[in-house]
Order: sequence, then structure tokens, then C-alpha cells
Amino acid sequence: MHFDHSPLTLLALGCAAASAIILVGYLVLRPRLGAVTKVWLAFGLGVLPLVTAFAGNVQGFEATKKREFCGSCHVMIPHASDSDDPASTSLSSRHARNKFFGEVNCYACHADYGMFGTVITKLGGMRHVWLYYSEYRDTPLDEAKKAIHLLRPYPNDNCMQCHSTHAALWDRQPDHKSSLEDVRAGRVSCASAGCHGYAHPNFRPPEPAAHAELRP
Amino acid sequence: MTPAGHRRILSHACAWGLISLGLMVWSLFDPRPLPVIGAMSIGQVFGTISLASFLYVVVSDLRPGLKKALDEAGVSKRPLP
Repeated sequence: MHFDHSPLTLLALGCAAASAIILVGYLVLRPRLGAVTKVWLAFGLGVLPLVTAFAGNVQGFEATKKREFCGSCHVMIPHASDSDDPASTSLSSRHARNKFFGEVNCYACHADYGMFGTVITKLGGMRHVWLYYSEYRDTPLDEAKKAIHLLRPYPNDNCMQCHSTHAALWDRQPDHKSSLEDVRAGRVSCASAGCHGYAHPNFRPPEPAAHAELRP
Repeated sequence: MTPAGHRRILSHACAWGLISLGLMVWSLFDPRPLPVIGAMSIGQVFGTISLASFLYVVVSDLRPGLKKALDEAGVSKRPLP
């Protein structure tokens, strides 16, 4: 993955470097433990690492939203590659070409949008990481494509964060009009074969008993 | 605790701090799941340990002076209400 040159990253790196210089200086020079040394250590062990941690955490959270991050696990490469493909017509790829959220299209579509949506989404992501390293890390891609599927049906609520179903243009579509209540109630999936198609070329729907299973 | 003990604690605190900084910097250069999660969990724990160790030394150094000042002011000898 490439290095992000954002101001926060540079701030974190600058503070980390300054802190490291102070700490190494203390370890090498062994100065007398007076007030001046303690003030230096207060910066080296307190202020500067705290700024590094804050800026680093913000950057870390931002990094976890990127498609590049999701695609760094080999089992997600087909989905990420499809999104990167300018010729692909899949739902995910079309959303990836949106200039407002293109590079974070995985997060934009899969994030939970409730009050604690970010936390729930991050916890779900932690589960994915755990399953990857405990079960799928050495699984060949062809096998992973068959084994990995959605945990539960994709909620229309996620689509409706942007496509509210209240716009006149949306309502003008006969199919939308006839299925309006079913779409809003989640009885008809936007991302189904009969409507807009599956989001990914290798999409596998949830298994019948998937809710009881721990699967990504 | 002796000054030598404080020095030892601070040396360990510096080492913990350097490890935590290393983890945080690694996650900035290589933002993949393991480095990012490592920085946000292990890095934070090590950093907190190093700061707590430093604060322990500072408070330990301040305690005798504070106790002496309180004794001189007669605060510690005053009967409780």
C-alpha cells in the first residue's frame, strides 16, 4: 500500500521522530535525573507520543476505509480488482467510479449507518480480520471464492442512504414505483438478479443457515 | 525507591515508548490490517505503560517534598474533624 502524505501523517511522523530522538538521547547520554531531564522526558514519553497516537489513529481509521486496505487480504482481491476495472459494469465498480467516494466504495456500501454504525462496522471488520488470519489466510483463491459468502442478506437501508427512494426521478421508474414498499421494507433486494444485479462478479448469497454461522 | 531504581524504570519506559512509536510509524508506512491493528492495540498499550511509568517516577520524586511541606504546615498533625 502506498504512503499517505496527508498533514496528519506528517504530523505523526514528525512527533514520533522528535520523541524518538529524546528517548534515544536519554538512553545513550544518561543525563542526571533533574527537573530539566524530566521536562524533556515529559515531551518524549507524554506530549509527543500522544500527538503521534492521536494523528496515527485518525490516519489508521481513514486507512481502514480504503478499498486498497480491504483488497490487501488476498481473498478480497477479486472484488477489489473488479472495482478497479474501468471496463466493469458491476454495481461495485460503478460505485467505485464515483468521484465523491470512489476509493472508499467498500466502506461506503458495507458500513452500518446506525447511531453506533462506525463502531459496529469496525467490530465487523475485526471479525473479518480474525477469520482471515485464523481460517482463510492460506486458502487458495479459487477455494475462497466458493467458501466465502455474505453473512446476512445485504440491507437495502445501505443503498437508501444515498438513493433515498423519495426522489421524483427514482419514482418515475415503473419498476421502482411498483416495488416501492417492498424495497423500503427490505423484501426485495436492490442488489438482486432481477433488479440491479449482484454487486460483485463473484458474489455468493448468504447460506440458508448463515445467520447462525460465523462466516464473512 | 532509590534514584537508581527510578533510572531503571525510566530506561524501561523509554524502551516501551520506542517500541510503541515504532508500531505507530509502521502502520503509517504500511497501512494494512495487521500493522494498523497492532498500532492501535499493542502500540497504545506499550505507550500507556511508558507514560504511566514516567508519571510514577515523577510522583515518587514529588512525594517526600510534598510530605515534608505538609508536615511543616501541620496539615498531617491536625486531628480529623
